[in-house]
Amino acid sequence: MNERRRDAGSVQRDGMLYLSQIIGKPVFDSTGEAFDTVSDLVIYHGTEKFPKITGVLLAGDRSRVAIIPWDAVAGFSELGIRLRVERRHLTPRPLQPDEILLRDDILDCQVVDIDDIKVVRVNDLELRQIGNEVRVIGADVGTRSLLRRLGLEPAVSRLAQLIGRPLQSGMIPWNLVAVLGGTMTPLKLSISRGKLKDIHPADLADLLEELDRDERVEMMTALTEERAADVLEEAEPEVQAAVIQELPSERASDILEEMAPEEAADVLGGLPEERAEELISLMGEEKAEEVSRLLQYPPETAAGKMTTEFIALPATMTVEQVLDRLRETKPDDETIYYLYVVDGRNRLVGVLSIRSLVVSPPDTPVSHIMRSDVISVRPDLGAEDVAAVLIKYDLLAVPVVEESGRLVGIVTVDHLIDILLEKYGPRKLGGGVDLSHRQAARSAGEGT
Amino acid sequence: MSLFTLPVLRRATRSAAMSRFVMFLAIMGPGIVTQNVDNDAGGITTYSLAGAGFGYALLWTLIPITIALYVVQEMASRLGAVTGHGLADLIRERYGVQWTTLVMVALLLADFGNTMAEFSGLAAGGEIFGISKYVLVPLGALAVWVLVVKGTFRSVERIFLIASAFYISYIISGMLAHPDWGQVLRASVTPSFSLKAGYLVMLVGVVGTTIAPWMQFYLQSAVVEKGITVKEYGYTRTDVLVGSIMTDVVAWFIIVACGATIFVHHLHIEAAKDAALALRPLAGEYAAALFGFGLINASLFSASVLPLATAHYVCEALGFEAGVDRTIRQAPVFYGLYIALIVGACIVVLLPRAPLLQILFLSQVANGILLPFILVFMLLLINNKRLMGAYANSRVFNVIAWVTVAVMIVLTLALVATQLFPVSG
Repeated sequence: MNERRRDAGSVQRDGMLYLSQIIGKPVFDSTGEAFDTVSDLVIYHGTEKFPKITGVLLAGDRSRVAIIPWDAVAGFSELGIRLRVERRHLTPRPLQPDEILLRDDILDCQVVDIDDIKVVRVNDLELRQIGNEVRVIGADVGTRSLLRRLGLEPAVSRLAQLIGRPLQSGMIPWNLVAVLGGTMTPLKLSISRGKLKDIHPADLADLLEELDRDERVEMMTALTEERAADVLEEAEPEVQAAVIQELPSERASDILEEMAPEEAADVLGGLPEERAEELISLMGEEKAEEVSRLLQYPPETAAGKMTTEFIALPATMTVEQVLDRLRETKPDDETIYYLYVVDGRNRLVGVLSIRSLVVSPPDTPVSHIMRSDVISVRPDLGAEDVAAVLIKYDLLAVPVVEESGRLVGIVTVDHLIDILLEKYGPRKLGGGVDLSHRQAARSAGEGT
Repeated sequence: MSLFTLPVLRRATRSAAMSRFVMFLAIMGPGIVTQNVDNDAGGITTYSLAGAGFGYALLWTLIPITIALYVVQEMASRLGAVTGHGLADLIRERYGVQWTTLVMVALLLADFGNTMAEFSGLAAGGEIFGISKYVLVPLGALAVWVLVVKGTFRSVERIFLIASAFYISYIISGMLAHPDWGQVLRASVTPSFSLKAGYLVMLVGVVGTTIAPWMQFYLQSAVVEKGITVKEYGYTRTDVLVGSIMTDVVAWFIIVACGATIFVHHLHIEAAKDAALALRPLAGEYAAALFGFGLINASLFSASVLPLATAHYVCEALGFEAGVDRTIRQAPVFYGLYIALIVGACIVVLLPRAPLLQILFLSQVANGILLPFILVFMLLLINNKRLMGAYANSRVFNVIAWVTVAVMIVLTLALVATQLFPVSG
């Protein structure tokens, strides 16, 4: 016993151990008898930054249900696990709902590196003894850990040193890991919900593209509807359609309802008609009507690209009234560039910029400061021609006007970028976004 | 992960039958593409030699081969549809890093050989038309590169489906050879067997070239990437069935074309190129040209799929970044493997005194050793109730699958054995 303890002490000088070093190692009871081997370790996956190990699964337990609670563990090293009780006094318990298995659910599986926002494969897990507890402190994803598990690390490491490019360790601190769960675990991403909170929707959309089917559904379920909608708006059309197809109908229509109507219409337009109709029928009446109307237009036209969220004012309002109304309605960034002036039958009669509004005296009627020679496009104008109009006249948005003169929507500069991207392909732009700020965050995380 | 979803043919589905057909068209692809990539340069060579050397004697094997092919491919696509993960992924997650690495290294070696076979097929196809291999092979490699780097997955799949249609050139070649159809059909359903070593080697060769390890990875990933779930799975099964039959119909016509001409005239050939050249005086200029065209098409087709797919699985399984939407700096291992496979294969094929036969032999051995492992992994995975739930194999299907696998294993081991200890026959 003393002998073993001293050996154990030598490994645990820095208290660090890899999961792969402990799997398959013997389990000794208090009499010193090695009666089984370690099959898996259990962690409680709560809100802790570095979750602690709560139990051990033994290889002899074929049905993998009886967890030996960690209280029974007296010592833990790469030589094995030593229990403080005799074998027959062990009190195994079932796996709890918030517990996951390190080897089954995490080792060799994919997790999300929420710092670099990408999906990575876990080659090993770093465990550290802190007092009586053992905690998971990081996931190893580097080549070094891969080689170590293959038993090739010493040789390759020496070789790498010789050519002057030492192997990188590639450890992600556990607080920056979001667990997806393996192919067999139903829990998955929702347990890491909190970790997704601070990621920008555009980054989450990139991540969405990398995830497998079930994980995508899981992520879109874990987010709030508004955020899920933001994320989906940023995703590629194929991903949008796939995600909406895979989600339960209720959830899918809730998310679509939170999206801008033209974005929702685009997504619905990419679905089989039956499914699109089903989802529209589940949406609120007003939104459903708007989306259905947008769906009538061919997608590659002004009307297909436009948003129906714009600001329309009667010519009789004063500057002050308009400003009051803007404060009240708080329109979105992209719709506030221009204010459109319409007559009683919604026909476009003029436009004024936010600038002219701000610089004019409060009691000026809108009709005095508006421009009445408005550049507009017809609903059926091709998307690329609309883009050309925006570029030629240096506009931030162009109104879409029916033949009768009725204003039905606007195409903004954001849509212009989408049109250009579709034409020239996103690969030309931002294939390798600079990740330096994320890297900086990573090194800060490692320090803690 | 690049990803493409079911293309939607809106408003085209008025009747239930029509909507089912449209659904099938939308989901069609993975099975048919995989099976046709399978009829690559190596396959065409083997079938040509089988027809030229043994006439119609091996035709009957195509029916059991089709069944085996379907059984194996159906499992691959079911695994993909149910789990939403690729095969390399599942093996890594369920069987750990050592097995995965072993399988991936073997896959890499086997596919390097397969890639060389494609480029030498391209070279041979060019020679039929009098084009130097020093021109055609680099051009082909460049075309493959451009297709992969510039094309989107959706457009690439379309090109592949069109390329699949060109396999019809073999069917026309077969017709132009004017076989005795009565005799051909009789031979197709009458099992015959010979214990001559040459016959056995050829039998094993035909089976081995039809069911290859990489196909299981490719098909399963294609099903996953297409976003097919258990809901649409029924259509995929049809897709796989159509693909299996198409593959073997093409194989059947190649054997018939060579059997009706080269075998009847007792000519000796050693490669697919010889077959095309021998067809010229016997079946006419068009038959030979179609044969050569088919060979070039098949080689290019498979050369576009194999290296890329291989680089993908290896990276996916071992946790390196992968995908043509990444830059070389982001995914160095992926591009490294991809370039090494293409450029390496090209260089070897263009070496003046390349030991092509030995290399192809080694790749076949690697294929042969790998296949049993892959099939057993697949069967274990698909019988895992936690993974597959209600979609695990039924008992009857399991019996068929295990028998298929057992036969495949015996035959591939036999192939490896004949390669290691060549029997003169």
